[in-house]
Amino acid sequence: MSVFVIASFCFLVTSLLSLIRIIIGPTAQDRLVGLNLIVPQVVAIMVLMAINFNRTIYLDVALVYAILGFISIIAITKYLKGKKLHE
Amino acid sequence: MLITKKKLFKPLQKKRKEKVKSVNVHSKWKIIRILLTASYLMLGWIFFTVNLAPFSLFLGLTLSFAVAFFTYDLFIEKEEAARRSLLPRIYLLILYPLVLLTKVYLASFKMIIPVISGQSNPRVVHFRTRLKSELARVVLANSITLTPGTLTLDLDNDHLIVHWLDAKTIHSHYAARLIKGHFESWLKRIWM
Amino acid sequence: MIFIFYIFLFLSIFFAFFGNIGMLRFPDVYTRLQASSKCATTSLLSLFIGLMIFKGFSSISVRILVIGIFFLLTSPVASHAIGRSAYEGGILPWRRVRKKEDISEDR
Repeated sequence: MSVFVIASFCFLVTSLLSLIRIIIGPTAQDRLVGLNLIVPQVVAIMVLMAINFNRTIYLDVALVYAILGFISIIAITKYLKGKKLHE
Repeated sequence: MLITKKKLFKPLQKKRKEKVKSVNVHSKWKIIRILLTASYLMLGWIFFTVNLAPFSLFLGLTLSFAVAFFTYDLFIEKEEAARRSLLPRIYLLILYPLVLLTKVYLASFKMIIPVISGQSNPRVVHFRTRLKSELARVVLANSITLTPGTLTLDLDNDHLIVHWLDAKTIHSHYAARLIKGHFESWLKRIWM
Repeated sequence: MIFIFYIFLFLSIFFAFFGNIGMLRFPDVYTRLQASSKCATTSLLSLFIGLMIFKGFSSISVRILVIGIFFLLTSPVASHAIGRSAYEGGILPWRRVRKKEDISEDR
C-alpha cells in the first residue's frame, strides 16, 4: 500500500460524508452544494491515481471531469432560475 | 442666413466622416480580438500538451483559430475603449495570486473554529466598489468568494451583495473596509 | 522534500474532512456553501502544491498546474451561481436569535 492509495481512500470516505447531504438536503440548492463538494474530491482521487500509476492520460480525464462538473452546476442553476422549489 | 446654414452643416459633415472612419476601426478591432483569443487558447494548448512536435503545434493553431472565430464576441468587449483592461501590469499580476493564496490559507484556518463549535453570526451586507473596469470587478468578486468566510451573492455594476459568516458590523462602509481589505488597492494598481 | 509533501497531503485531507463536517452541521444553504466550497478549494490547492513539490518540473506537474488554475478560476463562479439561485429563489438567510425558543423553532 503506497501513500497515494491511502490518501485516495481517505478522500473516498469524505466524499461519502458529502453524499449524506445530497440524500437528506431539504431544498434543491442544498443538494447542489453536496454535488459541488463531491466534484473536487473525485478530481483529487483521479490525480492521485495518475501519480500512483504514473500515467499522464488520467490527468486529461480529471480535467474533463472538472469541466463537466462546472458546466453541469451552471446548467442546473440556470434551470432552477425563477422557480421556487421548497421541499 | 447662408453663413449660419454652413456653420450648422459643417459639424454634421465632420460627423459623417468620422462614422466612415469608425467602421474601419471596428473591423480592425475585430481582427485584433480574434487574434488575442486565439493566442490565449494556443497558450493553454501548449501548457496542456507539453510536446512541441510540429504536428501538434499545427493542430493546436488551426483548432484555436476555429474556436476563436466563433467565440471572440464572448471574451473581449465590443468597444475599443475596453482595450485598457487588456493591458495589466504583468509583474503585479504574477504577484497577486501569491497574496491571494496566503490570505486563503490564513482564512481557512480561521474557518475551522465555527465548524467545530457550531456558532456563527451570518449576515447579508451591501456595499460598493471604486473599481472602474469590468474585469477588475469580476476578479474582486471572485477573490472575495475565494477567501473563506465571505460569499458574493450578486454583482450589479458596482454594487456587491455579500454573505458574511462572522459579521462584526452591518454598516456598509466599515464592512466594505473589512471585507475588501487590500484586494481593491492591488486591483486598482493592476488594471488602472 | 518528501516531508513537505506529507505535510501538504495531511493538510488537504484535514481540510476536506472539516469541509464535510461543516457542511453537515451548519443550519442553512449559505453557511453550508461557505463551509463546503472554500474548504474543498483549499484542500485541492494544497494537494496540487504538494504533488508539484514531489514531482519537480516535469510534464505531469505542468498539467497539474493547469488543472489548479482552472479550479482557482471556476470554483468561486460555481459557488456564486448556487448562492445567487438560492437568493433569487427566495430562501432567507439564517440569523442567530438570542432566545432559546426561537432557535428551536428555526431549526
